[in-house]
Amino acid sequence: MAATETALRARGLVKHFKRVRAVDRVDLTVGAGERVALLGPNGAGKTTTLMMLLGVITPDAGTVELVGRRLPGERSAAMEQVGFAAGYLPLPERLRVREFLELFADLYGIPDRRGAVAHGLERFRITGLADTMGNELSSGQRTLVGIVKATLHNPPLLVLDEPTASLDPDVAHRVRGGLERICAEDGTALLVTSHNMQEVERLCSRVVFLAGGRVVANGTPEQVVSHFGSRDLEGVFLHLAEGGAERISDARQVS
Amino acid sequence: MRAQRVRAVARRQSYVLKRAPQRWFDVIVWPVVDAILFGAIGVYFGSQHGAAAASAAFLLAGIVLFHVVFQAEIGLATGFLEETWSRNLLNLMVTPLTEPEYGTGVALFGMVRLAIGISVVSLVALAMFAFNITSLGVALIPLVVILLVVGWSVALIVIGLILRVGQGAEILTWGFIAFLLPLSGIFYPVSALPAGIQPIALALPTTHVFAAAHALVEGHPLPWGQVALGAAGAAVLAAVSVWFLTRMLATFRRRGYISRHV
Repeated sequence: MAATETALRARGLVKHFKRVRAVDRVDLTVGAGERVALLGPNGAGKTTTLMMLLGVITPDAGTVELVGRRLPGERSAAMEQVGFAAGYLPLPERLRVREFLELFADLYGIPDRRGAVAHGLERFRITGLADTMGNELSSGQRTLVGIVKATLHNPPLLVLDEPTASLDPDVAHRVRGGLERICAEDGTALLVTSHNMQEVERLCSRVVFLAGGRVVANGTPEQVVSHFGSRDLEGVFLHLAEGGAERISDARQVS
Repeated sequence: MRAQRVRAVARRQSYVLKRAPQRWFDVIVWPVVDAILFGAIGVYFGSQHGAAAASAAFLLAGIVLFHVVFQAEIGLATGFLEETWSRNLLNLMVTPLTEPEYGTGVALFGMVRLAIGISVVSLVALAMFAFNITSLGVALIPLVVILLVVGWSVALIVIGLILRVGQGAEILTWGFIAFLLPLSGIFYPVSALPAGIQPIALALPTTHVFAAAHALVEGHPLPWGQVALGAAGAAVLAAVSVWFLTRMLATFRRRGYISRHV
């Protein structure tokens, strides 16, 4: 990582869509090598926040710094340090898996793109998919290929939006295992959104809950569970989804 | 600008052309159809006045050069559309790829498509109507350059509109070019148009390029005044298209329109 202890630093992010305040003064920090989950019910502002963090959506207010690079001015250099995958993104129809991955290896400026692709496929044990067309993959295979794409350049920060949504439990297990290996071997920081609370507890050391576009809790899973008096993260999630966030006046740092 | 990223985008476009047979329609089928259609019309009307070859040459020079604008515009605009059709836009936007690198990569491969399309229409004109476009000489070069700039500029405006209003604007990929066809004096002088729309025709850079091309076909020297008007118009159009695309991209990012493409 480029001489910084922070993989991601966002301050005061605000986003309105027409009259709706989708994201409201969100502060978010992910340390180098840290694994953080961004959680919240549908409409909480998770994906909008992620898109602002990645420079795809321009915030109305606030700042984003990725691995020491400020958006939007240093977007291209910042994105060399970040990998992104989303469970809902398809692969382009007219590309084989190998061609798709080689395209992105080139976009990330990897000198030995073939070697990087072979290593990436091997790491997730999907070498056999290399010559398969993108539209012939199952959703689980597509997710795995998407994560290989996001990690080809060994980024210091990996951002994943619903990586295991709609996957069979065994495939989701493989995805989680692969992610854990990458984080452990490369010291990659992880920012992940998920509706699977067990997955979050296994993968992440810190959780940030959003509700109504605001950060309503930020701490270790145990701290957040304890703070809300719930049995587990699922209980916190249900509490917030049922309107619990409205009773919270300010964002809480519970750590 | 990184050459590796530009090459990657161009290679991605080559896979699309290779694996999407319908894309060959623009590159092969329309050039063949147009060359036969306008060559035959030229021969027929020319034969009524004892000047079949000259008449066919007039129309064929027009259709060959029209394909420069058409292929340049279609190549760039459909290259971008392919990313929206395959929902690949978000994947690209979260890489280090910059907008100029993307545009250059698509336009570079667009040049390959253009070369194929122009070769096809030229060869059909030569084989079926004995019209050789290269007989017009090196004077064609500035005309082709201006038409390329116009084609790419129109494509940038179309891409800007797709970013702004969504895929509903994709019809303009072909629609804008359809407007240029009757208004640019490609197959007849501008004076043949209704008086009310002649000022519009004269404001188009393409009109001056085709007037210059017709002068060449008739054996006159290249009218540099027309070339200058065409070049000036193309420069203005290029500047406007870049400004427009930049604005539309900013709106796209500000309003979160990426949600339309995932």
